[in-house]
Amino acid sequence: MTTATATNKVTMKSSIKNNNVHKKLKKLKEGAPQHPSDPNQRIRQHSKGENVYNIFNILFFAIFTFLCFYPFYYLIINSVSNNQLSASGKINWWIEGLHFDNYSKVFALDGLGTSAMVSLGRTVIGTALTVIASAFLGFMFTQQQMWHRKFWYRFVIVTMYFNAGLIPAFITMRNLGLTNTFWVYVIPAIVQPFNIILVKTYIESIPASLQEAAEVDGAGTFMIFRKIILPMCQPILATVAIFSAVGQWNSFQDTLIYITDSKLYSLQYLLYQYLNQASALAAQVRASAGSAVNVAALATQQTPTSIRMTIAVIVVLPILFVYPFFQRYFVKGMTLGAVKG
Amino acid sequence: MNNVKKALVAALASSALILAGCGSAGAPVDKSDDGKLMKVDVFDQRANYQGMQKGWFAKIIKDKFNIELNIIAPNIAGGGDTLFDTRSAAGNLGDIVITSTGNGRLSKLVKSGLIADMTPYMDGMKWLKHNKASSDALAEIAGKKGIWGFAHQTAAGMDPRKPEAVEPDYSPYIRWDYYKEIGYPKIPNLDAFIDVLKKMQDRARQDTGKNNIYAISLFKDWDGAFMSNVQGLTGWYGYNPQGSAFALADGTDKSTVLDKDGIYQKMLNFVHKAQMAGIVDPESSTQSWDNLGTKVQDGLVLMSIWNYLGKPRQNTKANMAKGVGFMIAPLEGMKAYATGFRPAGDVNFAIALGAKAKNKQRLVKFINWLYSPEGVNDISQYTAGPKGLTWEMKDGEPVLTKLGRAVADDSSKVKIPAEWGGGTWQEGSQQLNFVPVAPAAINPETKQAYNPGLWPSELKRTNALLEDWRSHMENAKTDMDYLVKTDKVILQPGAPFTAPVEDSKLTAQRSQINTAVVANSWKAALSNSDSEFDKHIKDMIEKAQGMGFDEIKKADYDAIDAHTKVCDEVVKEYEKTHK
Amino acid sequence: MALKHGSRKGSGETGSSTVAVAAPRTQMSVLQAAMAATAQPDESALNANDPKQGSNLGKKKGWTPDKRHGFMMWLMTVPFLILVVLFAYYPLFGWVYAFYDYQPPVPLSESEFVGFQWFHMLWSNPTQLKTIGQVLLNTFGISGLGILTSFFPVAFAIALNEIRSKWFRNIIQTLTTLPNFISWVLVYAIAFALFSSSGMVNTVLQDLHFISKPVRFLDSGEHIWIKMLLWSTWKGLGWGAILYLAALSGIDPELYEAAQVDGANRWQQTIHITIPQLMPTYIVLLMLSVSNFLNNGMDQYFVFQNAFNQEHIQVLDLYVYNIGMGNNSLSLATAISMLKSLVSVVLLWLVNTLAKRVRGTSIF
Repeated sequence: MTTATATNKVTMKSSIKNNNVHKKLKKLKEGAPQHPSDPNQRIRQHSKGENVYNIFNILFFAIFTFLCFYPFYYLIINSVSNNQLSASGKINWWIEGLHFDNYSKVFALDGLGTSAMVSLGRTVIGTALTVIASAFLGFMFTQQQMWHRKFWYRFVIVTMYFNAGLIPAFITMRNLGLTNTFWVYVIPAIVQPFNIILVKTYIESIPASLQEAAEVDGAGTFMIFRKIILPMCQPILATVAIFSAVGQWNSFQDTLIYITDSKLYSLQYLLYQYLNQASALAAQVRASAGSAVNVAALATQQTPTSIRMTIAVIVVLPILFVYPFFQRYFVKGMTLGAVKG
Repeated sequence: MNNVKKALVAALASSALILAGCGSAGAPVDKSDDGKLMKVDVFDQRANYQGMQKGWFAKIIKDKFNIELNIIAPNIAGGGDTLFDTRSAAGNLGDIVITSTGNGRLSKLVKSGLIADMTPYMDGMKWLKHNKASSDALAEIAGKKGIWGFAHQTAAGMDPRKPEAVEPDYSPYIRWDYYKEIGYPKIPNLDAFIDVLKKMQDRARQDTGKNNIYAISLFKDWDGAFMSNVQGLTGWYGYNPQGSAFALADGTDKSTVLDKDGIYQKMLNFVHKAQMAGIVDPESSTQSWDNLGTKVQDGLVLMSIWNYLGKPRQNTKANMAKGVGFMIAPLEGMKAYATGFRPAGDVNFAIALGAKAKNKQRLVKFINWLYSPEGVNDISQYTAGPKGLTWEMKDGEPVLTKLGRAVADDSSKVKIPAEWGGGTWQEGSQQLNFVPVAPAAINPETKQAYNPGLWPSELKRTNALLEDWRSHMENAKTDMDYLVKTDKVILQPGAPFTAPVEDSKLTAQRSQINTAVVANSWKAALSNSDSEFDKHIKDMIEKAQGMGFDEIKKADYDAIDAHTKVCDEVVKEYEKTHK
Repeated sequence: MALKHGSRKGSGETGSSTVAVAAPRTQMSVLQAAMAATAQPDESALNANDPKQGSNLGKKKGWTPDKRHGFMMWLMTVPFLILVVLFAYYPLFGWVYAFYDYQPPVPLSESEFVGFQWFHMLWSNPTQLKTIGQVLLNTFGISGLGILTSFFPVAFAIALNEIRSKWFRNIIQTLTTLPNFISWVLVYAIAFALFSSSGMVNTVLQDLHFISKPVRFLDSGEHIWIKMLLWSTWKGLGWGAILYLAALSGIDPELYEAAQVDGANRWQQTIHITIPQLMPTYIVLLMLSVSNFLNNGMDQYFVFQNAFNQEHIQVLDLYVYNIGMGNNSLSLATAISMLKSLVSVVLLWLVNTLAKRVRGTSIF
């Protein structure tokens, strides 16, 4: 019962507000202050049940967060502990035999600086392009009047399930002249069906009134996209940006397939090679049987596991560092609130 | 009908594929040389390093041939055959190609025109001509006349009936110190061996107070057609795997993984008995090679099926001085598998000339040098290194210099003089991981083996562990020496044999069978009762038979027979020329 | 520039008619807004994603201004569509490999045409059929469990949003995404350190005398689907919740204000506002995961597989890897990936049709 009334009110409110959209839009253009839509700033009624719920909630998250963090902590302490102890699984709570050999070896890798720049470049440029493309296409596919909208939407979406295979992909890139260029990292990744779906769904879930009003105002498609859709979609675009940035940052397969010029190696690929080298050396023991000389050196080698751990830490830390910057877009919420306020 | 379809589908794809190139026309003969410094792309399936060759080795070849090596290593690039596939789709693997040859790889390379025939460039290539047997054998594998390449570890003129290695790959290596503590008991058979291992395990636990010491610890990483650990055990009795079958080194006996009285199941049963005796590490089925290696190093494992698991991890200088380390156990009735010298080399790997390479004549000269005594030494993989730097002749015998001795002890720390290129020894070592000539082969210039470990001056070196072992083992000089003296080794003559081309459907069928065999082998080996063991074996046989094991068996037996035939030929050939 | 110009011209020229058409549409949108706000997706069928509805009003022969506008809009997407064609459709010529015995480096033109051999190979004999049956069962089991628990991230996001302290919330949000970045190989390394016979968990439990013999966490086939689900949930939950956190912050706060005015408590607000608002995103993702039924990926199962759990852990992707191992059969791989594409698209079509039946509107 209560809800029914509530919804009624909301409905009314929305329709009333819509009459004022012109004004609000102007306000938005002028850069109106944005109110946080943080639900925690809602007025709360506290009951006993809610307190119990709160406690359980916090307890659950504390435990789960610990379970998520502990393995990463495990990686950190093991990557700076004695490699032999670490490989035998003895380092569980605290560092033993502190040393930074694992890290200094990685930081001494040839071409580390260049590849870090390549990775940074592809992450920034690739993410920017994907976000723009996803936002634009996601928006366009909500526009009922677009010519054969449904067909083209499906045309894009089904490619999500296509996998032509390694050689055809390579031949394609080669024919397009993209192999051994930086752009092979960025251009093929621009249109991401999944991201488009996300953005489209998001746009559909918010009232279309603003756009209608803008259209009445005579705003063109681009104008509406830039002035209304982009600001409104910040949370989902931030999500798309995170997904794509992490994807770009972590990707190494494309370097393996399309790049032979070591100046264009991505950081992940360089580290992957380093790891492969350690694994290959470990496996080589098997092939080098029957010779007394040279084997002693193997005992002092870093184990592939210790290298893997080190690499994981090196790769994840930048993500951890950047992530909070995206987070504020989630809490900041819709500009719509501002429009209506 | 099929042709029409084929044409249709091919037409669909042709637009892209024509551009993909790799036409199969042979490379034109071009002996010109631009005389410039050349960056040589080496596509190297054996390399464990990707990038430019550095240090003292780079300096040697730059001074000699004005070339730099850019090593392209699929092992390091990752993704299995990805690099091979994409590069061959692009029509150029590299200027020099070091490749596996088995299962039709070499013939496909020749067929698709990716490697060049070296015949026109052979004038004056003394050391390559010396290895004619190798290029002939490879031409046979390639299925086309020509000089397509030279094999890994050739041993031209060496006796194929003499063991090539100093240590066998497979032998019961045990922690000699614990064996000593329990009083060197005799080991008449495998059952007794389990008792001995049990005693050693008890002793070790008592000595160290560590309850997680196990005599036997296994791992799964290398499983393919069978449990690789059990395959290692079959090597103790002279068997060598071929697909899913096992053949005695001299070809007189063969069986498959499914044969109840075959060697594989016999050894599987040995593991099972050990499991019931409580001497098998319970983590065996879940741990990796890495985990196991660390355990061995920590002294938690007392037996090593292969020499390369135990020795490198325990037999350090310090340990050996205390008498601690892995050594061969005197297991009665064993017949360790070993191969003889392979005059034509290990034809599973070959070095070849890329079809699109420039300055081909210069590259062939470089390959020729790799097979010369100087090149073989400079390769320094189980060989001594550059003469004058790491070794010298003294009283008509090669001996290590001070620097050479230091390299043998720890190669990572030795600094190389600037006139040799500077850097450390390890940084400057060649990264091709291709050994042109077998290290145990005789260097015609010094009349001693290339491997310094076999020089009289080095064999004199000893330590507490070795002395104790020798005193109980017929005063043998090396592992192989002991096995030969006690007739505990069986040799497969070193013949140029590689797995024949197989129908890809059969290969796919194989992998399905392998999965069933491996899983059931593990379950059987680690089961705690005989009835359970039998149950898993029965399941394994049923599944494998159901998926067409007979075809696999036939293919494997055919391959074994072919191998035996080649061995016989090699021995005959040798006996004809060396009377 | 040209495009922009075009679109402007389009709307400028049509002047009065735009207004005429726009008027009823505005009305509709108000309705639509109301629907969204009341969060009754069933009824939003009224908003009828039918592209003709708008233009019907100004129906004329040839290019109506609206149609023209729609075409201009399409033109604006063309650059992106070209990318799709180039990078997704063009490489599909590679599907012909599935009908050949293609073995690099021998070019396709010299490879043997084998027709449907690779497809047929998957079910060529009874033993194999039995294996495939078990593999499919595993795939369905694990995917099914995944779908049954697909609401976890939603619940996670909602519960997280209920935490009042902002810094605590941010920390949780950041740290719970961490497992997503740890590769499965490393996850197994950690799992081995913790759960093997001599691992930390067994050691602690034994020291506390809870157990006398080590528990075989890793090398037993029992409850393997559940164990795998736990691992993948642990790894993906925090990351998966990001999407819903984004959707949450998109909810119009006025809805909550209005509800509070009516005296709805937190629980009621969650049920009647939050969940319905998250529904569209959830449904879309659910449909995608249904269509992805066959694609479990193999990394997780590969690292955890051993002789004892293999029978129940072998999902389709792992099976394909296991049989293709050492085989490098690009043709077989292509055949299987073709099959999977086909199955996925069909599944997507099915759930979409189903959604249309139930909700009255299709999503894709």
